[in-house]
Amino acid sequence: MENLEDLKILAEQWSHQGIEYLQKIPPTQLYAAIGVLLFTTILLFLSIRLVRRTKSNTVLLSGLSGSGKTVLFYQLRDGSSHQGTVTSMEPNEGTFVLHSENTKKGKIKPVHLVDVPGHSRLRPKLEEFLPQAAAIVFVVDALEFLPNCRAASEYLYDILTNANVVKKKIPVLLCCNKTDKLTAHTKEFIRKQMEKEIEKLRASRSAVSTADIANDFTIGIEGEVFSFSHCSNKVTVAEASGLTGETVQIEDFIREYIKP
Amino acid sequence: MLEQLLIFTRGGLILWTCKEIGNALKGSPIDTLIRSCLLEERSGAVSFNYDAPGAAYTLKWTFHNDLGLVFVAVYQRILHLLYVDDLLSMVKQSFSEIYDPKRMAYDDFDETFRQLRIEAEARAEELRKTKQVGKPVTSVKKQGQVSKPGLEGGNKRVSEGGSKKDDGDGNKAKVSTLTNGHSNGNHQMEDDSQETDLANGKENTSSNVAVDLSKLQKLRSKGVRGRGGVRKTDSIGNKSSKVAAAEPAKKATKKNRVWDDAAPKQSKLDFTDSVDENGNNDHVDIVAADQGESMMDKEEVFSSDSESEDDDEPGSDEKPAEAKKKGWFSSVFQSITGKANLERTDLGPALKALKERLMTKNVAEEIAEKLCESVEASLEGKKLSSFTRISSTVQAAMEDALVRILTPRRSIDILRDVHAAKEQRKPYVVVFVGVNGVGKSTNLAKVAYWLQQHKVSVMMAACDTFRSGAVEQLRTHARRLQIPIFEKGYEKDPAVVAKEAIQEATRNGSDVVLVDTAGRMQDNEPLMRALSKLINLNQPDLVLFVGEALVGNDAVDQLSKFNQKLSDLSTSGNPRLIDGILLTKFDTIDDKVGAALSMVYISGSPVMFVGCGQSYTDLKKLNVKAIVKTLLK
Repeated sequence: MENLEDLKILAEQWSHQGIEYLQKIPPTQLYAAIGVLLFTTILLFLSIRLVRRTKSNTVLLSGLSGSGKTVLFYQLRDGSSHQGTVTSMEPNEGTFVLHSENTKKGKIKPVHLVDVPGHSRLRPKLEEFLPQAAAIVFVVDALEFLPNCRAASEYLYDILTNANVVKKKIPVLLCCNKTDKLTAHTKEFIRKQMEKEIEKLRASRSAVSTADIANDFTIGIEGEVFSFSHCSNKVTVAEASGLTGETVQIEDFIREYIKP
Repeated sequence: MLEQLLIFTRGGLILWTCKEIGNALKGSPIDTLIRSCLLEERSGAVSFNYDAPGAAYTLKWTFHNDLGLVFVAVYQRILHLLYVDDLLSMVKQSFSEIYDPKRMAYDDFDETFRQLRIEAEARAEELRKTKQVGKPVTSVKKQGQVSKPGLEGGNKRVSEGGSKKDDGDGNKAKVSTLTNGHSNGNHQMEDDSQETDLANGKENTSSNVAVDLSKLQKLRSKGVRGRGGVRKTDSIGNKSSKVAAAEPAKKATKKNRVWDDAAPKQSKLDFTDSVDENGNNDHVDIVAADQGESMMDKEEVFSSDSESEDDDEPGSDEKPAEAKKKGWFSSVFQSITGKANLERTDLGPALKALKERLMTKNVAEEIAEKLCESVEASLEGKKLSSFTRISSTVQAAMEDALVRILTPRRSIDILRDVHAAKEQRKPYVVVFVGVNGVGKSTNLAKVAYWLQQHKVSVMMAACDTFRSGAVEQLRTHARRLQIPIFEKGYEKDPAVVAKEAIQEATRNGSDVVLVDTAGRMQDNEPLMRALSKLINLNQPDLVLFVGEALVGNDAVDQLSKFNQKLSDLSTSGNPRLIDGILLTKFDTIDDKVGAALSMVYISGSPVMFVGCGQSYTDLKKLNVKAIVKTLLK
């Protein structure tokens, strides 16, 4: 009890002294000091935020409906695709450490993985996530490739000519899924076909006039046949299999751009 | 018995399937359900029919919007399981109790599900037994009725009329069969037995033949009243003779309009003699290729109005204002705490206001209704996030739904398709169909101008061989645009003219053939048959339905009847339906843009062009965001 009272008296004394001291300082100096303090704290916050922004850890999984994005999402997250998937109606988002890296020791930065539905009616959702993307994985069905080739190449073309992708040079991985099946095409074949189709798209879309039909930019070099090496952002090709868990190449790609 | 019951998340992961029933489903009914029903904003419908080779399923579903789960039950269509809805809601309740976002496997649910199923089946058995009191007495008479062929047709028609009255279920089932593109046979059978179930359920004490007939007559009359206009659904007794009498009379008058080459009047009506051609040459100016850029290629610049708070506008919420005032304080309170679960009663007034607003923007009533039901289904049970009002949540959901509907399901890049057809050395054939006076010929010329600007060689085919002046009209356009035209004059079979036009185009290497057809009403059977013959014979690459933006509720009727006739009268297994819509006279409506929504919703095909004036450059693309904004303003 006495201690408390003593403490109270001490506290009162200190506060009195502090107030006296403050009142002694001329007001302009006081205000100046406060102003400088505020200014430096604001500067600190801004700089921290700026530094943070450059290190986005979002990876987008996109591709046509039925190419296997949701299966890959769950493989990367949990190591298994559980009981199967159906056509997604909403994006699947998660921030986690990749499943294969769970066993590694030490602090690993989690990856923010977003699986965007591939159905054409849900295409606007992709544009919501593009600004924050650090890398894009474009999943292609290697089994049913030829019937969907045109639609897949149109989608890829739209992504590669998107303003965000071009300006920020977001790297794209063309991932050929379902390679565990015997009749799946090779990644070289798929790459060549996509390049051919995009070449045709380039020709038809930049045919006329000042305004491009729907795309912000054009890609490739004028007069040369399109190749993925012409893109300003890096485009690589890889193989994977969602059902058997063969996702090593995707994980390497992710880790290349999202430093652990 | 139940074929399968699935629980999956909206993100696509399957959480649980019933393992007792080991049957693998034929085809992919779940994916088809998602693509053609749930993503098409038809989730307010009662059920969905799926036909695969070797199986006919019906799917029923329910949502748990708060947790983002979907529960789907699949069963054979011939079995009418009454307990499915019950079972789904019970499963929903018990599963949401054990659901955990982190958990992926729910094996313990098997036991719970088995018990629930036994319970639901038992309950259904009880209900059926109480109905069976009336059944053995009436079944004898029913068999007697069914044996007579005339009355059997009557039963079917009655059921069609009867089913129309229960919440438009028949309509929804019809729409789903249209999207599947299969015959209506299965659908009618289901409705038939559904109707007899209802009829049996209603009769508790009757044992009189007279009572049966009178009840059937009552139902029949209800069916007739339900839909105005020409209804050929009554065929019981005297009414059938009336209809039968009307038909030959109709046929007698129609005979004059049938196009056959042997008609002696041909020479009289055919004014396309070459004498006039040279005389007309002087008066026609050739349109320079630079009449300016077609608006198709211009960027759409719409003024970015600051988003007005619609709820502050007194004009929009006139009627429900009073009801809102009472609930306003509580809704404000709830919006701050943000914990309320949305119930149907909460959503009711907001949805009603939204529906009225849509209808003032010229959206067809039926479509607005279905949309509101779909949005309701997707919001029920969801938690309100804090600091949002119910009306703004509903508005956001509706905006989402509208953007989804208006976003095309497939690519509408015509130039790409033209180039693809060019590589195969075939001309790309576009057929313009529509009712009278919507602007087919005018917009055909606009499309031709646009294609020309993109260095595509175009050819026109004048297959409107009925309306006087149609061929001349096209000829004038062709001369102004300097493109070849294929015409055979009047009173010729348009299907044959189109075929020859395509052959001509292949010969002289035109990239695109634009086929103009005569306008026809959707109820006109012989004309629709002629149209379907044209399409079947020539297999065009694009069937473009031209509809005017001024049309109101009739848009639904036009499009659904066109699609239905095209699918019914098609000779091949894969009927060609309407692939795209051309919306015309867009400049005449200020903000009543609802026709676009009705047409896209009912047919599922995207709007490829919008005609907004009468000169060659007045053709543009549909700006989805602008339309949605205008609709919800």
